[in-house]
Amino acid sequence: MDSILSLTDMRYSRGGDFSLQVDRADFAPAGIYLLSGSNGAGKSTLLHVLALLLEPNQGEIRFAGQVVATPKDRHKIRQQITLVEQAPFLFDTTVYQNLAFGLRLRDVRGNLQHERICRALKTVGLEGFEKRHARGLSGGETRRVALARAMVLRPRVLLLDEPTAGLDTDFLPIFEQCLTSLAARGVTIIMASHDSEQPRRLNGTVFHLKNGRLDSLQANNESSGHSDYFQQRHCRIV
Amino acid sequence: MGFLFESLSHALAMIISLDGEVYRTVWTSLYTSMTAIVMAAVIGVPTGAILGLGRFPGRGTVLTLLNTLMALPTVVVGLVLYGFLSRQGPLGSWGLLFTPMAMIIGQMVLATPIVANYTVAAVAGSDPRILPTALTLGASRLQGTWQLLLEVRFGVMAALVAGFGRVIAEVGVAMMLGGNIRGSTRTMTTAIALETSKGEFAFGLALGVVLMTVALIVNLFLHMLQRR
Repeated sequence: MDSILSLTDMRYSRGGDFSLQVDRADFAPAGIYLLSGSNGAGKSTLLHVLALLLEPNQGEIRFAGQVVATPKDRHKIRQQITLVEQAPFLFDTTVYQNLAFGLRLRDVRGNLQHERICRALKTVGLEGFEKRHARGLSGGETRRVALARAMVLRPRVLLLDEPTAGLDTDFLPIFEQCLTSLAARGVTIIMASHDSEQPRRLNGTVFHLKNGRLDSLQANNESSGHSDYFQQRHCRIV
Repeated sequence: MGFLFESLSHALAMIISLDGEVYRTVWTSLYTSMTAIVMAAVIGVPTGAILGLGRFPGRGTVLTLLNTLMALPTVVVGLVLYGFLSRQGPLGSWGLLFTPMAMIIGQMVLATPIVANYTVAAVAGSDPRILPTALTLGASRLQGTWQLLLEVRFGVMAALVAGFGRVIAEVGVAMMLGGNIRGSTRTMTTAIALETSKGEFAFGLALGVVLMTVALIVNLFLHMLQRR
C-alpha cells in the first residue's frame, strides 16, 4: 500500500547541539506507529517535522505521494495532519470555541459543527464541557480537550506527543479504543510514547530513537517478550 | 491661593454648565486622537506582529529605530510634516495644512511607533505554542498570526491606550499642523496654551481638568489591562 506520509534522506538540525536524520520512513494509511526513546532523543522534533511545523534542512517529505515543497503545500497539507502536543495549548476561550477553531477554517459551521463538537467531547468523556472556559480545566481535561480538538477535524494523519502522560488510568482504555477505531476508519496515527505495553495493545509499529539513532521496529502480532515482540524493518533514522 | 480656588470653581462651573466652547474643544481633541489611534493601529499592530514573530536581517535596526521614534519630540514631527503639507511642500496641493486631517496624520506618526513597540512586546512575550497550535489546526500563517493577536489582545489594547495617552496630551503637532483654529482645529492642549496666554485662566483650567480626567481614565484602563 502507498504511504500516506514519507520521509526520505531528511536532515534537521537546530543550532549545533541537535540533529535528526531520517534516511527513510514510510507511514501507511490506517497504521498505528509509536515513537519510543529516552528524553531528548528527538521524538517531539520528529513529530513537528511530520506535522510540517518544522522545515527540514534537507530531504524530502511526501504526503499521499506528493512532494511537500512550497509554503502553500505545507498549509494545504496541514489541513489533513494534526498534532497534539505533549503540553497542549488551549486558546483563551471556551472549550466549544477551541474545538470550533479548526472547523471554522474548514468551513464547517452551524448544526454540523455543533454535532461534531458534541460528539468529539463525548468521545473523550467531556460531555457538557462546551461552555467551560479552557483556562479553568485541569491538566488531564486540557489534554482531553486538545485530543477532541484534533479528532473533530478528522485528519488523515493524527500525531500525538506523549498523549497518555497525565491522563486518568480509567480513561486510558477509552483513549486506546478511540485510536484503534480512528485507525480502522483509515486515519494514520503516529505517537510518541513511553509506555512499553502500548504497541502490543494497539498492535502498532515502533520506531525507536536511541542516542541520536533511530531504528524502525515492527510489532510482531501477539508474540510474547519484548525482544521477540518487534522485528527490524526498513526504516533507519540516525 | 484665592485666585487659584476662584479660577477652579469657575472652571468647574463651565464644565457642569456644559459650556459649548469647552465641549467643542474636547470633542475636537477626542475625535482627532481617536481617529489617529485607529490609523496607527492599522499600521502599528501588523508591524509589531511581524517584528515580534519574524527573524530577518535588519530586524534589530528596525526595532532600534522604532524605539527612537517613540521618544520623538512632537514639535519635530510637526515641523517635518509642516514641510510636507505647507503650500510649497510636496503635498501642499492636497490642502491639508491647518485642518483636523493634518493633525490626525501628525498624531498617527507619533502613535504608530508606540503601538508597534507595545505590540512587539506583547507578541514576543506570548506563549510560543500559540502559533504552532493554530497552524496544526489548519490555519494559514496569516490566520495563525490573527489568532495570536487575539490571544494577546490585552497587550494590544494596552498598546492602543498608551498611544492614545501620548496623542491626546501632545501640543506640538496640534499647534503646528492644526493652527489652533477655533471650532475647527482647537484641541484641549492648544486651547489651554492660548487661553492662558490671553489671561483666560479659568477656561484653560476647565480644559485642564477635562484633560486630566481623560488621562486618568486612560491610565486606569491601562492599569486594568496590565493586571490581566
